[in-house]
Amino acid sequence: MAQTLGFIAGFLLLVALLAYTFWPENVFASQKEKTRLDYLLERKEQLNENLRDLNFEFRAGKYPVEDYQAQQAQLDSESSQLSAEIELLQQV
Amino acid sequence: MAAFGSFALLIALALAAYNLLAGALALRLIATGQPTAISPERLADTARRAGIAGFWAVTAAAFALVWSVFTNDFSITYILEHSNRALPAAYKFSALWSGQEGSLLLWAWLLAAYGFVLRLTHKQDVKLYAYAGAILAGIQFFFLLVLNFAAPPFALLKGAIPEDGNGLNPLLQYPEMVIHPPMLYLGYVGFSVPFAFALGALMMRYPGEKWIRITRVWTMVTWLFLTCGVFLGMHWAYAVLGWGGYWSWDPVEIASLMPWLTGTAFLHSVMMQEKKGMMKSWNIWLIFSTFLLTVLGTMLTRGGLVSSVHAFAESPIGYWFMVFMVIVLAVCIFTYILQYSHLKSERPIESLVSRESAFLFNNLVLIAACFVILWGALFPVLSEYFVGNKVTFDAAWYNRIAVPIGLFLLCLAGVGPLLPWRSTSFRSIRRNFVLPVIALWVTVGVCLLAGMRPWHDGAFDAGRFYALVAFALSAGVLTAIGSEFLRGMLVIAKQSGRNLIWAKYQLIRRNTRRYGGYIVHVGVVVVVIGLAGAAFNRSTESEMALHDKLVIGPYTLECAGFTQDANANYDSEYALLDVSRNGKKLFQMTPEKRVYLASQQPQTMVAIHSTVTGWDLYVVYEGVNPDTGQPIIKAFLNPLVNWIWLGVLLMAFGTLIALIPKKWSVNSGQ
Repeated sequence: MAQTLGFIAGFLLLVALLAYTFWPENVFASQKEKTRLDYLLERKEQLNENLRDLNFEFRAGKYPVEDYQAQQAQLDSESSQLSAEIELLQQV
Repeated sequence: MAAFGSFALLIALALAAYNLLAGALALRLIATGQPTAISPERLADTARRAGIAGFWAVTAAAFALVWSVFTNDFSITYILEHSNRALPAAYKFSALWSGQEGSLLLWAWLLAAYGFVLRLTHKQDVKLYAYAGAILAGIQFFFLLVLNFAAPPFALLKGAIPEDGNGLNPLLQYPEMVIHPPMLYLGYVGFSVPFAFALGALMMRYPGEKWIRITRVWTMVTWLFLTCGVFLGMHWAYAVLGWGGYWSWDPVEIASLMPWLTGTAFLHSVMMQEKKGMMKSWNIWLIFSTFLLTVLGTMLTRGGLVSSVHAFAESPIGYWFMVFMVIVLAVCIFTYILQYSHLKSERPIESLVSRESAFLFNNLVLIAACFVILWGALFPVLSEYFVGNKVTFDAAWYNRIAVPIGLFLLCLAGVGPLLPWRSTSFRSIRRNFVLPVIALWVTVGVCLLAGMRPWHDGAFDAGRFYALVAFALSAGVLTAIGSEFLRGMLVIAKQSGRNLIWAKYQLIRRNTRRYGGYIVHVGVVVVVIGLAGAAFNRSTESEMALHDKLVIGPYTLECAGFTQDANANYDSEYALLDVSRNGKKLFQMTPEKRVYLASQQPQTMVAIHSTVTGWDLYVVYEGVNPDTGQPIIKAFLNPLVNWIWLGVLLMAFGTLIALIPKKWSVNSGQ
């Protein structure tokens, strides 16, 4: 008797879960491809964060001036290149 | 309930299979743009829903097992073997994971739960989550195959059903055993998620590193659970096993440590990939290795390959895990080779003295430690197979390697935060390291003056030497981390005109990940100080009749008597020991010996008196000398043990801070 009840309960569970899985749904999230612009904007955000960290650490006295200026120049150069490409893509 | 539970597991298996196949097919159709009768995105959504439905099916099976244990359904073999009527409710619950089948069901349920959350949050990046979901479905499919065919938790007993069960292993009838395995499994199973994301990102050639940001919370939470699980196990070993220690390099302990080492390496080096686009191949293989080590660990404990107090009984399911590992490894290698060009680093490491190098050294040391420990764990198996002679390494062998490696890692924990990115000048090194180095040497001087010398009874003592090095390095690292906090606080206080306490809050809030990480490092330092205390452990053992005394360190233990007790679960015998110091009675300790009625197994219950800053007085009632009939008491004096548990709490606190989203404060001037 207990076993039969168990199988009935299991069958009901199966029906409920199949109904949920295959329920007709018109709205579902689509798989959007990430564009070059999306990628560049993420890189820019990370570069800005790296610049913020660098400025803060310099003010905290971790870098001598020469080291700070060299690193800042590098990051500014990378940021400029990214900004140029972002601008170009946004114009298209 | 057995029928319902078995049916639920079968449903879960079918849903996992559909999730995997339909999910993979949908991704393939979207990638190729092939026209089909059913929309590939609709197909992908049904696959996602199948994963969610699978969670409910596994939950139903877990509920059936819980119901069966609480209703004492001894018609189910598993319940008969791991529970009995008199077992307290909390331990009835933990009986669910005390055995092979139940613990596999717990694993499958946790995996389904992680997948459930992942699939509900899929809109963060639908395509990446679809890949990760399909990979998780593949892992889930394997575990459900094992549960349905190799280790069914609802197997029925043949013949007459006994009135009562065999009871739970006495070693597991301890409060920590209610949470240690679930914590550990939350960690083990949790690493499936970053693994799925990493493999998925590689398969789809994910542009950029945002997948790391998405995965970060999962990885940190998983690491936190594994850390807590490992240390809860250590505390259980200390409080229950009665040998005075907390880590014996047991193969099952090693199985939990290895993924923790590679997971820790991953958590660090992934920052380099996120910030600098470096170490991409390295990180991919770190997370692959971490996942494979979690599977290897569970294979070691279940397959009977190694002898351990923790291991389940020998069973053929070890072969199932071996095949699974081979398949996973093959998929990883194939995907890596196919997508290798996607993993080129954007820049090389420019200087050996830089934060990048510190991360790299940190990783290399962690991997080296993992490899050596893995070698030690597998050597008995390999030596028996190839030479016919089982050779095992003792704890001393592991300590000879692990202690110096651990100290080097401790050093890096202080050096890394002080180094700037890319490269540094000698001026910068001098500026940042002078205070920590001073703190280090001052500590050496203070320790030597206080009598903590690296020799004992005229001979060089390696343990005391390493303890001295540990204390000195700890002082250096704490100074380094303290200086990081102070520098940042001063900047914010100066700009805002507010006090240092407010500045500290803003500093942490501004960059929770970094400063939460520093708090974790402080926790690690505290743990190391606690571990170093083991070099100064003392112990003594004696037969004790009524009013006999035992002296250990500053304490005198006097036997005040013996008493007995009994309940439905066990019979127990206590020793009553009055503890005094300088003639003044302080407290009483009651070490205990139990015999559990259902299993007739004995178990010692250790009595521990702890002080936060001082010593643990640890007393074990070893039983009765069969020749003299006198009770035997063993006492230990273990310094600084509480620092280990305190350190873990700090590590947990730091991780929780790091999980809070950071906020760039307006007042910071950025």
